[in-house]
Amino acid sequence: MRALVLFAHPVEDSFSAALHDLVVRQLNLRGWDVDDCDLYKEKFSPVVTAHERRIYHDESANVAPVQDYVDRLRAASALILIFPVWIFGFPAILKGFFDRVCVPGVAFKLENGKLSPNLTQINKIAAVTTYGGHRFRALAAGDPPRKIVTRTIGFYCQPKKIRYLALYDMNRTTIQKREAFLRRVSDEMDRF
Amino acid sequence: MRVLVVYCHPNPESFNAAVLDVVEQKLATAGVETRVENLYADGFEPVLSQQGLADYHSIPKNREAVQRHIENIEWCNSLIFIYPTWWYGVPAMLKGWLDRTLVPGSAFHLPIHGAKSIEPGLQHITRLAAFTTCGASWRWTQLMGAPGKRTLLRGVRSICALRVRTIFAAHYSIDSSTELSRSRHLLKVERQMDKFLAA
Repeated sequence: MRALVLFAHPVEDSFSAALHDLVVRQLNLRGWDVDDCDLYKEKFSPVVTAHERRIYHDESANVAPVQDYVDRLRAASALILIFPVWIFGFPAILKGFFDRVCVPGVAFKLENGKLSPNLTQINKIAAVTTYGGHRFRALAAGDPPRKIVTRTIGFYCQPKKIRYLALYDMNRTTIQKREAFLRRVSDEMDRF
Repeated sequence: MRVLVVYCHPNPESFNAAVLDVVEQKLATAGVETRVENLYADGFEPVLSQQGLADYHSIPKNREAVQRHIENIEWCNSLIFIYPTWWYGVPAMLKGWLDRTLVPGSAFHLPIHGAKSIEPGLQHITRLAAFTTCGASWRWTQLMGAPGKRTLLRGVRSICALRVRTIFAAHYSIDSSTELSRSRHLLKVERQMDKFLAA
């Protein structure tokens, strides 16, 4: 039972970092083998290069620039994303993980124009996130990060379980709300 | 009219470059003031850093690292994005431009005195366009909820002028495109630019 945790926040005393610590601790307690990938600490470059774009469809070559991350993704049976929502989406560093690592032959197969999921060894997915604005605001914009997790990653992994845990309205949050959210995340990870 | 074009593609030979050409020609013909930001050519750094985040709420310190980009946004009254749709969204490079350039005190104002939500800061932007290419089909993109289009045309739109004119054109299923489909799409971009530029 190996869980890949993708964490995308640069500040150590942030609320996102507290969520990250909590998730890693709970997963360890529950016996998961945790691969803790802190994208900022690992200085992950999210930028698809001109070369990577040219070899994007060549399955024999397209994983080479990101081999280590592809291996870690393939070794995981659970995927947990921890990130703040910035400007209606993932932080660039997390968006770029999908752009660069989840290429044809990794996240999906393209055969005769037909798309099929290729990360089906991942059977549990969770996202733990915070939004600056109210949920209504996210919904009015179509809530792109929620859709990417529940629909797109959901399709490529075909998991048995998807949890999207979000704390909205961080711009006006209170300590009570943050503590309640920490408890909720802790409970969910206990049962994960 | 003052137009800011934000262009994001790593390869000069890409179809997106042809779209940029059409857009620039239309703008030149119309004789409007134009600034083009080519994020890849410029080597834009899309990652909001620890320092950047520490300064995020300090106005005007949060402008310093991306001064020119924020000045562009405040200078323009019309905004055009040209990018490939990757993973159903804008490329990380463009996402990072949004993360770093649309900051409090400029693009929006955080809620104060019991207000429920942020206040828009880009109300001077009255025209907003997105031109993109998608590997996925139209139908599949809709099933996924079109996150890229919505990030710009609903999300960014929500901090622009209330009645901002929005324009969108995408070439879907780009990997099975033909010369004909691509030239048709460029004609569509021309027509959409006419709508964008109309009085």
